[in-house]
Amino acid sequence: MAVLQMKRISICALKKDRKPVLELLQRRGAVEVDSVLPEDSVFSHTDTSANRSVFQKNMAAATAALEVLDQYAPEKKSLFASLEGRELKTGEDYDAFAQKYNTVMETVYQITALSRSISENKSEILKLEGQLEALQPWLGLDFSMRFKGTGCTSAFIGTLPGGMDLESILTGLSQQNPQLPPIHVEVISSSQNQTCVFALCHKDGASQVEEALRAIGFAQPSNPTKHSPVQRKQELADRIAQAQAEIEQAQQKISSFAGQRADIQFSIDYFAMRSEKYEIIGELAQSKRAFVLTGYIPAKKADGLKRELEKRFDLSVDLGDCDPAGDAPVMLQNNPFSAPVEGVLESFGLPGRGEVDPCSIMSIFYYVLFGLMLSDAAYGLLMVFGCGFALLKFKNMEGGMRKTLQMFFYCGLSTAFWGFMFGSFFGDLVGVVATTFFGRPDIALGPIWFEPVKEPMRMLVFSMLMGLIHLFTGLAMKAYQYAKQKAWLDILYDVGFWYMLLIGLIVFGLSTEMLPSILQLNFILPGTVGTAGIIAAGVGAVGIILTAGRESRNPVKRILKGAYGLYGVTSYLSDVLSYSRLLALGLATGVIATVINSMGSMMGGGIGGAIVFILIFLVGHTLNLAINLLGAYVHTNRLQFVEFFGKFYEGGGRQFQPFAAHTKYYNIKEETYNG
Amino acid sequence: MDNLGIVFALFGAVLAALMSGIGSAIGVGMGGEAAAGVCTDDPSKFGKVLILQLLPGTQGIYGLLIAFITLSQIGVLGGSADISIAKGLLYLAGCLPMAFVGYWSALKQAKSAVSGISLVSKRPDQSGKAIIFAAMVETYAILALLVSILSITGIGGLNI
Repeated sequence: MAVLQMKRISICALKKDRKPVLELLQRRGAVEVDSVLPEDSVFSHTDTSANRSVFQKNMAAATAALEVLDQYAPEKKSLFASLEGRELKTGEDYDAFAQKYNTVMETVYQITALSRSISENKSEILKLEGQLEALQPWLGLDFSMRFKGTGCTSAFIGTLPGGMDLESILTGLSQQNPQLPPIHVEVISSSQNQTCVFALCHKDGASQVEEALRAIGFAQPSNPTKHSPVQRKQELADRIAQAQAEIEQAQQKISSFAGQRADIQFSIDYFAMRSEKYEIIGELAQSKRAFVLTGYIPAKKADGLKRELEKRFDLSVDLGDCDPAGDAPVMLQNNPFSAPVEGVLESFGLPGRGEVDPCSIMSIFYYVLFGLMLSDAAYGLLMVFGCGFALLKFKNMEGGMRKTLQMFFYCGLSTAFWGFMFGSFFGDLVGVVATTFFGRPDIALGPIWFEPVKEPMRMLVFSMLMGLIHLFTGLAMKAYQYAKQKAWLDILYDVGFWYMLLIGLIVFGLSTEMLPSILQLNFILPGTVGTAGIIAAGVGAVGIILTAGRESRNPVKRILKGAYGLYGVTSYLSDVLSYSRLLALGLATGVIATVINSMGSMMGGGIGGAIVFILIFLVGHTLNLAINLLGAYVHTNRLQFVEFFGKFYEGGGRQFQPFAAHTKYYNIKEETYNG
Repeated sequence: MDNLGIVFALFGAVLAALMSGIGSAIGVGMGGEAAAGVCTDDPSKFGKVLILQLLPGTQGIYGLLIAFITLSQIGVLGGSADISIAKGLLYLAGCLPMAFVGYWSALKQAKSAVSGISLVSKRPDQSGKAIIFAAMVETYAILALLVSILSITGIGGLNI
C-alpha cells in the first residue's frame, strides 16, 4: 500500500550537453517535466513546434508506408501476438538508426510513391474498361469510325435510338423523304437501346440523306476511334495489360521491402521519441549557454539519477521536497499480490491528496468476491492454468497486460477455492457423467462446506456477512486515512460513532426473535447483550447527530445536518443488501452449468450420447464461462467502487507521466554505460 | 380444471424467459449498433465496446435461469407434475419480478451502455467508468433474480 513519494528535481546544465542529457532522461523515464520557470531576460523558452511537426509528418509518412506494406506483404502474426510484448532494442540501436535514417526514409517515400502509382493505374484501368465497354457495339465495323467517305461517296457512322433492323431503318428513311437518293445501309449491331449503323450514299445526295437520318434520330458517336474498333480494342486491352503489369510490378517491389519492415517500425518509434524530446525542449528554460529542467521524480529513483547525471556531465542537480499543496503526480507501488488490481484502481481514479493507496486491502477482497461470484472449481482452474501458461510463456509481455492476467490468475485461484467449497465443478458435471455414462448415481462431487443451490438463505446470510466485513474494512480505511493526517477526533466522529451505531444495532437485532428467524440462524443473543447493543447504538446515533454537521457554526443547522448524517444509516442497509449479488451471480453460474449438463445428458449414455454430451459441454460451458466472467468482473468492480470506495475513497489523483520513450513497436531499453 | 396449476406455473416460467429474453435481445442489439459505429472509426476499441454491448445480455440469462428452476421444480423436466392451482399461481407470481424487471432493466441498461459506448469512443481510458454506469442498472435485475429464486425454491416446501 503505497503511493510513491515524489521529489522536485531541477537540473541546470550546459547547452552543449542538452542532447545527451535529455536522451538519458528519456531512456530512464523517471522524470515528469513541467515548465514552472517564467521567462526573463536571461532564460527563455524555445518554440520547437516546427521541428516537432517535421517529425510528426515523417511519422505519418512512415505509418502510411507501413500500412501499405502490411497490405501487400502481410506480416505473419501468431494468435497470441498481443501477449508477446514489444521487442527490446538497446540505446545503441537507437544511435545506429541515426545513420540509417536516410535510407529508411527513402524506402518510405518509395513505398508511398509505389502505392500512389498502384492507385493511379487502378483508376486508369477502370477508365479503359469503360472505353472498352463503349466500343463493344462497334466491333463489327472493320475500318475507322472517323471514315467520312471516298472521292464520290459520303459515309455516315453513328447510332439510332432503340433496336431497329435494316428494313425498319429504310422504311423510316423513305417515310421522311420519299425522293431519297440511293443509299446503302448496314446495321453493325443492334440492341434494345441503340442500333449502330453505317450508311453510304453518293456525295451529291449527302445533305438530303443526312437530313433524313437525323430526322429518325441519327447521332454521331461521341468519341469515334481513329483506327478500326477491333484494332482500338486491341490497343485498349494492351494498355490495360500494361497497367496491370505495372501494378503487379509495384506490388512486388513493395513486397520486396518486407525485409525493411522492422526498420520502418523503428523509424516510427524514432520519430515518436524525437518528437517527444522536442516537446520537452520547448518546456526548458534556456539561456545562451545553459538550460534548466524542472520536474517531479519518484524519491527512490532521485539519488541514483542525480549521481549518474553528475558523473557523466558537468551540471548541477537539485532535489527538493514537493509542495504539499502542489499538484504532485501519483505513482503506485505494491507487492506482486496486490499490484495486479492497480489497473482497476486506475480506472476509478488514482489516490488524491491525503488519500492512501487502497490496493493491498482491495486486492484481497477483489479476489475473494470475484471467486464467490464465479464459484466454480473447474472454471477457476481453467483461469489459473490459462493465465499461468500465458504468463510463463510470454516473458516479454506489456506491463498492463501482465497485470490483468495476474489479476485473473489470482481470481481463478479464489474461484477454484470457492468452487470446491460449494461443490461445483462445471456445475454438477461429476454426478451427471457418473449417472449417465457409468450408471453410478451414487458418485458426485460433494461440497466441502455447503451447496448454495440447496441452501440459498444460508448463502445469502454469508454474502451479507462478507458485505459487512467489506464495508467495515472501508470504514477502517477511513480511520487509517485520518490517522495519517493526525485527525484523531475525526476518527471518533466519522468512524467510531458509526461502528458503535451499526454493531450495536446488529447485536440488538440478533438478541430479538425476528432477525435470527429471518436469517435462519440457530442462536439468539441473550437480552443483556442486546440491551448493551442498543445503548451503544444510541450513543453512536447521538454522537453522529452532534458531530456529522460539525463544519457548520450555526447550532440549528449543525443538528439538522447531523440528523441528515444519521439518515445515512439507510445507505448501509442498501449497501449490505447489494452484496446479495454474490448469491445471485454464484447461483447463476452453477444453475446454468447444471442446465448445460442436463441438456447434454438428454441423449442418454452410449457413444452417440457421449458425442452429443461433449459437443453441448464444450459450447455451453464456454458460453457460460464467458458470460459469468464478464458478470463477475463487472460486479466485483461495482462492489469495490460503490460500496467499498464509497466509505473512504474519492480518487482524483493525477497519474505520473514521465518523459520517456513512448514507443509502439520496440521497447528501447535503457543502456548501461559502465563509464 | 384441477390441472390448471401446472398451466399457471409453466406460464410463469415462460414469461420470465420471454420478457427477459426480449429485453436482452433488444438491449444487446442497441449496444451492437452503437459498438459497430465505434469500430468503423477505430477497430482497436472492439474489446472495450464488446463488454459494454454484452452488459444488457445478462437479463436474458437470468430469465432462462428462473425458467429453468421453475421447470425443474414443477416437474416439467421429469418427475410428477401434480401442482395445485394455488401453487401454480404462486409460481407465476414468483416469476414475475424477473419477467418485468428483467425486461425493463435490460432496455434501460442498454441505453446507458450505448451512452457508455460513445464515452469510450471519445475517451477509451474511461471504459471502466462506462461499465460501472451500465452495471448500476443491473443491480435491480439481480435483486429481482434473487427474489424470484428465493420464492420459487421456497414454494415447493409450502403445504397448500
